[in-house]
This record gives sequence, structure tokens and C-alpha cells, in this order.
Amino acid sequence: MAPSFLFSQFMGGLTTAMFLFLIASGLSLVFGVMRVINFAHGSFYMIGAYLAWQMVEWLHPSGEAFWPAALFAALGVGALGAVVERLFFRSLYGREELYQLLFTYGLVLILGDAAKFIWGTGQLSVSTPPVLAGSVQIFGTTQPLYTLFIVAIGPAIAFGGWLALNRTGVGRMVRAAQMDREMLGALGANVGTLYTGMFVVSAFLAGLSGALVTPVQGIVPGMDVLIIVQAFIVVVIGGMGSLWGTFWGSVIYGEVLSFGILIFPGFSLFSVFALMAVILIIRPWGLFGRPL
Amino acid sequence: MRFRHLPSFILAAAASVPFGASAADSIKIGFPIPLSGPTATYGVPILKGAEMAVAEINAKGGVLGRKLELMSRDSKANADEAVRLARELIIKNSVDFLAGTLTSAEAPAVSTVAKENKIVFVAPTAKLTELTQPPNLHPYIFRIASNTDVEGTAGASLMAKWTDVKTVATIAPDYAYGRDSIGSFVDKIKKLRPDIQIVDQEWPKLGEADFTPFITAQMGKKPDAVYCSLFAGDFVTFTKEATPLGYYKAIKNRMLDPAEVGTVDEAQALGDNYPYGIIADAYDPVVWGGPGEPAEHQAFEKNLKASMKSEYGSGWAIVGYEAIEALADGIKKAGNTKSDDVAQALLGLTFDTPVGKRTFSATTHETLSPEYWGTMVKDAAYPFAVIQNPVSLPPSTIN
Amino acid sequence: MGPVRAAIVTASDRAALPRRLPWTLIVFLILATVPWLGSRYNVFLAEQIIIDALFAVSLNLLLGTTGLVSFGHVAYFGVGAYVCGILMKTYGVPFTLAFPAAGLGTAAFALISGYFCVRLIKLYFAMLTLAFSQIVWAICYKWNDVTGGDQGLPEIPYPHLDWMSAVPGLTDLSIGDRFYLLSLVLIAVSLAVLHRIVRSPFGRVLTAIRDNPERAGFIGVNVRAYQLAAFVVAGAFAGLAGALYGIFSRGVFADYVFWSKSAEVMIMTILGGMGYFWGPPVGAAALVWLNQEITDYTEYWSFVLGAILLLLLFAFPGGIVGGIDTLWTRLRNTRRA
Repeated sequence: MAPSFLFSQFMGGLTTAMFLFLIASGLSLVFGVMRVINFAHGSFYMIGAYLAWQMVEWLHPSGEAFWPAALFAALGVGALGAVVERLFFRSLYGREELYQLLFTYGLVLILGDAAKFIWGTGQLSVSTPPVLAGSVQIFGTTQPLYTLFIVAIGPAIAFGGWLALNRTGVGRMVRAAQMDREMLGALGANVGTLYTGMFVVSAFLAGLSGALVTPVQGIVPGMDVLIIVQAFIVVVIGGMGSLWGTFWGSVIYGEVLSFGILIFPGFSLFSVFALMAVILIIRPWGLFGRPL
Repeated sequence: MRFRHLPSFILAAAASVPFGASAADSIKIGFPIPLSGPTATYGVPILKGAEMAVAEINAKGGVLGRKLELMSRDSKANADEAVRLARELIIKNSVDFLAGTLTSAEAPAVSTVAKENKIVFVAPTAKLTELTQPPNLHPYIFRIASNTDVEGTAGASLMAKWTDVKTVATIAPDYAYGRDSIGSFVDKIKKLRPDIQIVDQEWPKLGEADFTPFITAQMGKKPDAVYCSLFAGDFVTFTKEATPLGYYKAIKNRMLDPAEVGTVDEAQALGDNYPYGIIADAYDPVVWGGPGEPAEHQAFEKNLKASMKSEYGSGWAIVGYEAIEALADGIKKAGNTKSDDVAQALLGLTFDTPVGKRTFSATTHETLSPEYWGTMVKDAAYPFAVIQNPVSLPPSTIN
Repeated sequence: MGPVRAAIVTASDRAALPRRLPWTLIVFLILATVPWLGSRYNVFLAEQIIIDALFAVSLNLLLGTTGLVSFGHVAYFGVGAYVCGILMKTYGVPFTLAFPAAGLGTAAFALISGYFCVRLIKLYFAMLTLAFSQIVWAICYKWNDVTGGDQGLPEIPYPHLDWMSAVPGLTDLSIGDRFYLLSLVLIAVSLAVLHRIVRSPFGRVLTAIRDNPERAGFIGVNVRAYQLAAFVVAGAFAGLAGALYGIFSRGVFADYVFWSKSAEVMIMTILGGMGYFWGPPVGAAALVWLNQEITDYTEYWSFVLGAILLLLLFAFPGGIVGGIDTLWTRLRNTRRA
């Protein structure tokens, strides 16, 4: 196998990984602080994609609209997250975790049909922004600029997140909440606002990743369900609540998929779930997580 | 444990009340078809074609004095959903006939429902050859579409003409149609051009969102040409991902896609991202390209554009249209709506379509519809790709 | 604690109602008359309801009784459906053998998967059940030779029910109706068995484990063993429900095992009321009936289901039966006062 071929498979896997990291980071964040798995995270991603498409349609069907559209989408989903958290989620905090989980699933059902109702059932498409529409030759392979952009953004967000968590006051509160939220509340911190803030940030990230995926994939009903399971797998492998865990979990997932199809074509569907099961059996808190 | 059961008692009683009584005395046709998801790009226009046929027939007084009623449902391209909907349509809504389904996963499953309930089922699109072969063949299944045998023969004969192509790769969705389509093509091309080598075969799943690993793996094998059976939304996503990676450039657009990506529906979905230069097919080219367009076709397109409220019509509507027309002809010939009689009547029945006459074979219940093939090019008159000089390739004219 | 446990305490300590009617027997008899009194559609609906009822009650053994939140329960339903379907269709095994084989096969699978799952705490337990469920789905989807892959296994044969012609009154029934009556009997027996299990000392240990696993451990209960046993029993009955469903639907397809069906049965259980043994069957009846009525008018069934779920969570956490129970208690108290 030519090294250039291996390199293109590797880059392909890395692209998948970084897209997944963008989405999964929000999921992991919410879990780390609020100890709840948000099924609706995939729905936020989907709404982000639809909003980006809508914005591009409104501004003008040309590539320059893409960047404001992506930002608008992310902010829109962030706002949706704020509404969801304040109006509904809040009242479920004292209750059993099962109820919180089911609430997020109820959201999946509602948001999924709402998107179908607003944007129809067909597959929608967004063009790559012109500034990133070209490609470069690296090691004898063609790498689209957009792919390189995504591969760069992933670590950038990971590093930015790490900085925010470890070098800011808010970050310190978030880390404290991850360790012991009751204590944090007892010490006078406004845990309620912290939760809302975390949820909004997570939704923003989901919406942003949805928007950023539109030049590469189709926007279609069902993309919420498809992505959430993948995000779960990544978060389990890397460790829930750990930013770097999610990052490396995504990389592992992306590369297993990318090279898996070379070894055994039907493999990929089964292998990622098997990997998730193995991690849960051997080391449930993931590669980088802390035991709950 | 005592009073608690009252609710279920009430509900059971409520379940006995018949609901949803529809227009008295209409002939009901159940039509499960994907209306959401990537395959809806084909499913939605097929339904519109069927609806147009129903409207036209009802405007002329219906069949045997009764109006036709189409009951469509979203099968989401799932076999289990299609089966469930088909059974509900039969048991709950008491449909007289079944038509529809898109994929070769749905159609065989619904066919078994039709067989068990002894209801005629006309499948407009599924190409899986097995659908109408023993042991799956039964009196009530009829097919409008072509089949993978005809498709593979046509595709192989066209690829054989590329004499400078020595290595070929294939990519198709990993389910019955994809496997059959590639199997048929490989079989035929080996006979026509024993010098051609199949160097790579990729099998993404139907509805795949990320084709990148398959694309890069295939490019690594450096094929001269590609036979691709991806279709509808999958082909759109695939092309969006493949083009920036240099996939089409590497094969110099030498691709053959037999899964109707030459339809105006698909071309519009891809817009300017369409990989011009590939060879594709359609049951109805819509844009005729050259002279010799049948008058019926012109009339059909005009009505279709009005009925769909679309400027450009659809290359898929025709099969939905044909399914209803054929069924209506069968009912007329039988003189009643009993499936046993209609099934008899459909055997060997010849019916008119806007692109020529079709006959249901008395032995295989298929029409062996030809498709129109050609190179996809840019046309100044249209904002999307069209087939250049579409040529109909009926089974008899290809070797 | 939570409202669920309080509700269960109230229910079992209930004083006698003014009228002790054997409601379960009444419902059983009504259901048994559907082939004669109802249309083909009523039989279709009733069969779907009773199969889902068994499936939901089996889940509730885990959810309501033992406090184990499983997101992968549909895997056992699917394994049962495939085992029975493959035995009957591919190997021509008669139903009398295939049906129990489905239960046993599923129990074996539940034993293996459960062993790994019960070692994990709540959230990881849920994730692992989901992972196993998707593994089963992936295998069913891909193993073309055995499971039919993406095409599935259509045309599962009906069991031989010609002997029913000998029973007076049953001679004229169609095969579909006969199978319905057979299912009704099998499901009634299964529910009776499950009811015994829940009310038995074993069941009481399970509720103790649900309320406080540590305390149960302290008093000498082998918590893991009991949880595993519950898992196996729940899985086995889910497998039986699946076997019946495969025959009823005339086919077994991989998408039966997709995780969204696990969510559906969980909603059914909670809709009915997971604090009551007969809650899940009520939920099953409600949901199946609602689904049939609503899908005739709109494509947006998911939205309706989501709205129902939210309504349940915020307003009626005890489900339908819980709501009625509360209402009944209030009525009784106002009458007394």
C-alpha cells in the first residue's frame, strides 16, 4: 500500500474525527457538569444544519453567506438550548435521572418532526464557501481546503476549551461542579446559572458543528438519530466529562472506521458498537475519564 | 388490580369503533413509498406521478364508474415499515390493491404481504431480478421497472465501448439492489471484455452520511473507470464529498451510473455540482435532446409540469403514472376489482405509456422497461445537467 | 425516594374496594371474544396490544420492580423473534418447539449480556445495554445467510393450528384469528407467571434492591445475582413476545431491533404507569390505539409521541394508572370526609 494512500485514509479518518469531536464535546460537557446524557444533542446538531441552510437561502444563495449563516445557526441553537433548559429542564433536576433522559428523548421526537414540518422531508444542500472551495496537494494526495479547515478547528476548540476550563474563573467553577456540585452550591456559587450556561455552550457547539457539516453532507431528516449514537460511542470511549478524552475518542473512532473498511467492508457497522461494549466492560469511565 | 383495568376495557371497546371511513365505493390503492430521508428524492415524484394518473382517470369518470383513491404512506425506505404499512392498509383501510415501494428491500417484503392477502401489487421501481422469479413469483406481483439483468447488460455494453479502460472499480449501496446491480454488471462485462479487471469494490450502507473512507480507498486503487449504483440523496452526498477529493478528476469522469441519476430530479438536486460527463440513465429523460419526441410524451410533460407545479417536471413521475395506468387497464379488462381476476387480466396485458407501449410478460409479470441512456452535459437552456441524445436501450437491442 | 415508590406502597396497602370485580378475568374474556365480535382490524389491533403488553411488562420487571434502566431491551425481543422465525422458516421446526426455544435462547443471551451489564452502575449499565442492542442489530442486519440481512425473513409460517377445528366454536375461524387466540392464552399465562414472580419473595428482594442497593447488600443479599436473575427472566419473556410478533407480522426484519424501539416500549411502560404491574399493558393499549388513530390523519406521529412523553414527565409521572389511582383515592377521601 502506497504511503500516499495510507495518508489519504488517515486524513479521511481525521476529518470524520474532528466533525465528531465538535459535536461530542458539547455532549461530554453537559454530562460532566450535569450528569445527564442529552439525547437531543443530535437534534441540536440537525437544527444547526437546517438553520445554516435557511440563512444561506435568505442572505443570498452564494458562498459568502456561509460564515454569518454558520454563526447565526450556532447562536440560534444556543438560544433554543437556553429556552429548553430554563423552561423545562430546570424542573426536572431534582427528579430521577430516568426522567431527565426521557425528557431529552421527547425533545428528539418533537424537534425531529418540527424540522420536517418547517423544512420538508427532502435532502437539502449547501455549497462550500468559495474561500475554502479549492484543494491542495499533500504527499501526492488531494486534500480539500475545507477538510483541512475542519481538521484544524478541532484541536483549536479542544485547546480553547482546555484554556477556558483551566485558566478562567468560570472554568474553575465548571471543574468544581464536575467534582462536587452540592458543595459548590453550598459555597454560594450560582449553580443554576452555571447549568444554564453549560447547556447553552453545549447547544451552541452542536449547532455550530451542524452548520459546518453542511458543505460536506446532505441535510436530511434522520441525521439527528444517526449522529447521536456516534457521539455516544465517542464519549464512552474517551470518557464522559473529559474534553481530551472526547478528542482522542473521536480520533480513535474516525480512524477505526476509515481503516476498518479496508480490512473488512461490513465491519464498520459492528466494530464501533463492539468497541463501545469492550470499553464499558473493561474500563467504563473511558480512556481519560474519572470513575463516577 | 381491580379498578385499574377499567382503562384498558374502555380502550378495547374504543378500538372496535371503525374509524376513517373514506369516500364510499371508491377503488382504494395503498401506496407505501419513501417520502422522507435520502431516497425521498425519488419517492416523492413517483407519488406525484401516481397522483396525476389518479386525477386524470377520475376526471374521465374513473374505472368501471368508480373513482380511484390513492392512500399513500411514508415507508422511509425500510422493509419492516413498508410491510407494517402494507398490512395496515389492507386490514385497516381495506385497500383493493397495492402499488408503490421504492427499494429492492421494501418490494420483496411487501410482495409477500400481497401474496398472503391475495392482493395485486404493482411495483414501479424495484429492480431486483428475484422479485419476479421463482420461488418469489406469485400471481399477484407485477413490476413496471426494469430489472438488474437488463440494467447490467445495458451498462456493460456501454462501458465495453471504452476500449482504453482496462481497470474498473465499483461502488454500490450494501443491500440487495446494490449487490445484484454490481453482480449483474460484473458478470456481463467479463463476457464482453475479458481483458477488464475489477480492481476495487466498495459497499457503503444505504443512507450513508460519510462516504470519504470509501472514496479515498477507491482512489488508492487507481481505476480507469467506475460503475456506480449509488442513487438519490446518497449520490448527491457522495458527489459532494468526492469532487473536492479529486475523485472524478482521477477517473476523468468515466463513470456509469445505472440507478437513474440522469433524471431531472437528481440533476436538480445536484445543481452545478453535477459531475458532467458521466453516463447515466432515466426512465424518462424529460428533456428530449434530439428530434422524434412522441406526441404523448410532450402532452405528458406539459400536464406533469402543471400538476407538480414545477417548471421542469420529473424523470421519475412516469413510473408512478404507469403503475396506476396499468392497474386501471387491468381492472377494466377484468370487469371487476377482485384481485384474482385483475391478476389474470394483467398477464400479457399491453398498456400505453407516454414513451411507448409496455407489456406485462405472462410468465415473469415484468415489463422489462428499457431506459434512456446518455452522457450528462450542461445545457444552456436548463440550470441543471441533461442527458445528451438519450438513447433507449431495450433488452432486445443489446447483446 | 420519588413518587414511584410511594405509589407502590399505597397500592399494595389498599383497603378493599366497594366492589371486588375480577377485572383481569373480565378483560381476558372480552379479548377472547374479539374474533367473533370484532372485525379483522380489531383482531389485528388486539394482537398488537397484547404482544406489546407482554413486552412492556417484561421491561417493567427491570425498570419498575428492580430499578434497572435498560435501553437495550428490544435486543431480546429481536433475538426471540429471529430464533423462532429461523427455526420455523428455515428449519421447519414446529411452533411447539420453536416457541420455548426462543425463550430459552433469549434467556441464554440475556445471561451472557446481563452478566456484563449488571456489574456496572446506572448510567454505564444503560449505555452497555444500548451497545449490546446495537451489536445485535448490526449482526441481524449483516448476517445475510442466517438472518436474511437487510432483506429480513419474510413469510414466517403460522404454527399448525388445524387441531383447533376439532374444538367446537373454533372451526370457522381463519388462521389469523386462531393464532390470535393461541397468543392470547400464551400471553395470559406468561403475564400470570410474571405476576407471581413480582409478588413472590424474589420479587420483594428486587424491590428492596431498587430502593436501596447498598442496604440490600448489607443485609446479605447478593445484589448482582438477583439483578442478573431479573435480567434473564425479563429477557426471556421479551423473547417470547418477540417470537409471537414475528409470526403475527408475517416476517422478521433487522429494524425491529433498532434502539428507537427500546425507547418506544419504555414510553409505553411509563405511560401506563411503571409503579403498577398492570400499568404497562394499559400503556401498550393506549399507545397502539393512539398510533393507529393518529397516523391515519397525520405523518407527525413522532411529535405527538414526544408531546405525550413530555406531558407524562411533567404532569403525570405515575402514568395513566397512576393518575386514575390518585383520582380514585381523592374521590374516596372526599366521600369519607
